[in-house]
Amino acid sequence: MDDPNHNGEVRSPAALDPAPCAGGGGRPESDRGAALGPPRPADSAADQAARSPTAEACADPPQRGPRSGDAEMPQSRRMGGPVEAAAPWIDGVGPIGAMVEGARSLARGMAVTLSHLARPSQVVTQEYPENRATLRLPPRFRGQLAFVHDPRGLHKCTVCRICEEMCPNVSIIITARDRPAVSKKELDTFVWRLDSCTWCNTCVMVCPHAVLEFRPTFETAVYDRRLLAYALNRTAGPTWPVIDKLESAEAQAAATEPRAPFDGPTLLARARAKPGDGEEGGDGG
Amino acid sequence: MPSLPTLADRAATAAHADGLGPALGWTALAVVAVLAFMTVVGLLLIWVERKVAARFQCRLGPTRVGRFGLLQTVADALKLLLKEDIVPTGADRVLHLIAPLLSFLAMLLMLVALPLAPGLHVVDVDIGVVYLSACSGLGVIGILVGGWSSHNKWSLLGAMRAGAQVISYEVSAALALLVAVVFSGSLRLSEIVQSQADGWWIWRAPGCGVVGFLLLLVAGTAEINRTPFDLAEGESELTAGFHTEYSGLRFAFFFLSEFLNLFVLAALATTLYLGGWMPLHLPGLAGFNAAMDFVPPLAWFGVKAAAVVFVLMWFRWTFPRLRVDQLMRLEWQILLPIGFVNLFLAAGVVVGGFYPGAG
Repeated sequence: MDDPNHNGEVRSPAALDPAPCAGGGGRPESDRGAALGPPRPADSAADQAARSPTAEACADPPQRGPRSGDAEMPQSRRMGGPVEAAAPWIDGVGPIGAMVEGARSLARGMAVTLSHLARPSQVVTQEYPENRATLRLPPRFRGQLAFVHDPRGLHKCTVCRICEEMCPNVSIIITARDRPAVSKKELDTFVWRLDSCTWCNTCVMVCPHAVLEFRPTFETAVYDRRLLAYALNRTAGPTWPVIDKLESAEAQAAATEPRAPFDGPTLLARARAKPGDGEEGGDGG
Repeated sequence: MPSLPTLADRAATAAHADGLGPALGWTALAVVAVLAFMTVVGLLLIWVERKVAARFQCRLGPTRVGRFGLLQTVADALKLLLKEDIVPTGADRVLHLIAPLLSFLAMLLMLVALPLAPGLHVVDVDIGVVYLSACSGLGVIGILVGGWSSHNKWSLLGAMRAGAQVISYEVSAALALLVAVVFSGSLRLSEIVQSQADGWWIWRAPGCGVVGFLLLLVAGTAEINRTPFDLAEGESELTAGFHTEYSGLRFAFFFLSEFLNLFVLAALATTLYLGGWMPLHLPGLAGFNAAMDFVPPLAWFGVKAAAVVFVLMWFRWTFPRLRVDQLMRLEWQILLPIGFVNLFLAAGVVVGGFYPGAG
């Protein structure tokens, strides 16, 4: 998180936030930030305990040294104790009450499953290949990464490379080229490697210009794994706001260049350039 | 209801009166009928289980092969027939081959003794309930042998768990069976069915019937190793338990006997507590009783057994699996005392004649 490009805005993935502690439990606000940084030696044990997302950890203030609160906790709330310590009956109701309680909870579970059985409208699976036209996909479904192009096929990527930096397994390879007349970079190819992507969505979340999105297209199977790395941008060149500022249509047309899916540093392009060498690009077997 | 001779009786009569030919004919009919029945019921049950499970989980289940996926299990059986039959290195070859057959045999021995309808009954054993109890314990030998011979620690663990589990729950199952025996005064299954002509034991035996029926369902589920008592398979911890190393047709035998055991349990519960093939008769309603008699006995049996099978599937797709210590505690600390108290109460009720139609 000490990336200089990242200034702690809402774009940070929610999973990196500490588990919210109801009531705070005597944990000062400054401590919360320290838990994310490199652990301070004196506090590390307390932080370890405080970071566990259980209610138990929230209730106890962080302590230095070994946890002594366990002894005061009621038997039923202690976690991770020996199995034999648990009473065979549910606490406080005795054998008959436990049996009634157990039967009631079993009946409640059976009511839930029966309600699913009785209502066929709740079926969530679909008979897939025939219903391509009417397929209902969840709105946030992540199929393939894609560029957001405008109607002319232009993009908004400024080659800031945040996505490339943040990608946990180097699934994004950006090549830039010098913009003529200005000493700035512009996008040449934006290659995404489907074969190594984990669909963590970090690239989409960190992009400052909302260039990337996940589309719900999922029929990505191919017979040659070299086809799994391809360029997402259809045009090489500056972003569309830059192009809009150019006066003549000729200048606008000259600023961009079309890009095909397998242009740039893709496995297939490498194989074409040097026949027999393309297979070496893969990370996995 | 007239009691028709069973297929074994017909064969025996034919052997005495008409000679060997007709006797062999009746025997062949019995064998073919049982095999056909087994295949159809087994494949149908697997299909039903998959459909019911899918609906419990908001899925569709098989829909592709045949209408509503009805031929899916047939396709699966054909696939298993064509699969390579692997015996792992270091496995005890002979025992590995025998194990699924032992499991299948135990199931078959139980199946032939069940009265499906008057006349549709292969052997009417005098001590039917004891016989069934004994044969149900035999099934675990197949599992033990399969797990032992596989030369695989998961298989062995699964088999040992199954052994401990089946032997424990057999006690409760036997206690549950005995309640119906105490009330009907006979161990012969056909007589137990006949004794329920005026009402089924589940309600005619006051209280004891319901408890016995539930006890039989729970202990029986444990005895046929179904979820929530499927510790012998425990796929999350033991891969597939005792049948980890089985493939192809021998796996199919384990699978088929597992599902037919489900039917056998449902049929047994039906026979002992739900009146078997007996129509629903309520005392004092002659017209209603006569109307009920028009429904054929096989349909009565089928509907009741299907209902019990559905309840068992409902259990399976609702409840999580027990831990081994919970399993043993449930049997020895909870079910066994309940079973004994229930049996003594039932005996008291029968001796005192405190149930409708006593005497």
